[in-house]
Amino acid sequence: MEIKLASVDSVIVYFENVISLDVSLKVKQYLEEIKKLEGIIDIVPSYTSILITYDIFNYSYEQFVFILENIKVNTLSSNESKIVKIPVYYGEEVALDLRSISEEKKLSISDIIDIHSSSTYRVYAIGFAPGFAYMGEVDERINMNRLENPRKAIPKNSLAIANEQTAIYPQSSPGGWNIIGRTTLEMFDKSLDNLCPVNVGDEVKFFPVSKKEFLKEGGVL
Amino acid sequence: MSGFEIINPGILTLVQDKGRFSYAHIGVTSSGCMDEYAYFWANKLLGNAKDCNVLEIAFPSFSIKASEDISISITGADLSLSINGKYSKPWSTYNIKKGDILKFCKSLKGVRAYLAVKGGFLLNKDFDSYSTTIKEGLGAIKGRALIKSDFLPYTPYKHNHKKVLKEKYIPSYDETLVLRVLLSYQKDEFEEKEKEKFFASEFSVSPESNRMGMKLNGEKIIPKISGIISEGIAFGSIQIPSSGQPIILLKDRQTIGGYAKIGSVLAIDCFKLSQAKNNTKIRFEEIDIKSAQEKMKDFYLDFDN
Repeated sequence: MEIKLASVDSVIVYFENVISLDVSLKVKQYLEEIKKLEGIIDIVPSYTSILITYDIFNYSYEQFVFILENIKVNTLSSNESKIVKIPVYYGEEVALDLRSISEEKKLSISDIIDIHSSSTYRVYAIGFAPGFAYMGEVDERINMNRLENPRKAIPKNSLAIANEQTAIYPQSSPGGWNIIGRTTLEMFDKSLDNLCPVNVGDEVKFFPVSKKEFLKEGGVL
Repeated sequence: MSGFEIINPGILTLVQDKGRFSYAHIGVTSSGCMDEYAYFWANKLLGNAKDCNVLEIAFPSFSIKASEDISISITGADLSLSINGKYSKPWSTYNIKKGDILKFCKSLKGVRAYLAVKGGFLLNKDFDSYSTTIKEGLGAIKGRALIKSDFLPYTPYKHNHKKVLKEKYIPSYDETLVLRVLLSYQKDEFEEKEKEKFFASEFSVSPESNRMGMKLNGEKIIPKISGIISEGIAFGSIQIPSSGQPIILLKDRQTIGGYAKIGSVLAIDCFKLSQAKNNTKIRFEEIDIKSAQEKMKDFYLDFDN
């Protein structure tokens, strides 16, 4: 673990310089300890680090670093993550890139859906846009590069993959990930108290739903 | 209801306050007034609570009509405010009468003007803050800039004692800015000669700047690495992609990103930077964390009533 200065009122804690489940668990455990401290303004956990903004009227830089250095995380504790289940309609009218993935990877469309929906993913980071959760790891059989020509507008709630990561676009936005389905779950919902159904460190499982179920749950084609 | 009717919404007029905190972990940016110095003075001149909402006016032609008497303050950029056709200087309060028309005519000095009313506008907070972030759709008025059909309600107020800020407290918005920098983050991923170049060079504000960040033109500062594993971005971070063109990340920045950062600009200096017009000359000098924190504390303590 290494603690570095970030700005006048923030520091960044680095765990290891590699993306892995083990590092993600450390980030999650350390995060829980930081949340207990007084005078914390904002916390941004990510793949291998946590940025912490603190109130400089509560701590000087040295005092804050000292506190952080003395936080103990029990690396032996098991992975007790919450599992969030997300319904996905993998139909071709919303899965804009399934056909080209199928051609490139020499897999049937139903194989791709099976591979994607049978894994459990971990939320490594949330950013880019509110509720945009970076999840991994995607099975290497369906590891796809980003599109050469990003789309100008990806429909809201699209499920996408890029390299070893998968994500849902919470709002319509430009983007270069491969679109493989669409969900009815709002990833950034202003009507909810917690805004976003997942947090960094949670686990996510996608389950396929039929077109009928998708539409019944308010899905938009 | 009493308030301001919008005659012309301007190009980018936003309701703001100090910002939205404790949601960064799900990707929500801090938002808030770009120039906190002008923001705090706007409220202090009126005797408002420190966290009252204000309007941040980034371009001229914004124009409103008062439906009832109200005391206002104007701080920040001089956008040539006229009240019923008469030029009215910023850094001052004004007693506005029913039917008065306010119009920001043209940009004279600085970039962003702030308008506060006695008691603040009667709007609702969105996730603990009035601040507007257009890309997130969050903020007091549906998360967007003002439009003509909006109405800005307030509680009428008469006979405020007029206050004009002393000249020595009014920023001059010079054509050259020296920004104090805390070397931090990936500072070791820049070779000594690149760091020397960074502190010795003069940069200028690029027109491609906005509430997310200020892009700088000038010498290329080349990091040893092309990118990093995405991590949290602090206010004022100086991000340098492999193209070598620095960008200083401000209130509407992305919460995480994967470019190398050489350090961060002291927040007080970011407030000054937010008033810098295109082509303003920028230089950097180093500051240590102890003095930086003292300066920040002094800044905030000055606004405690």
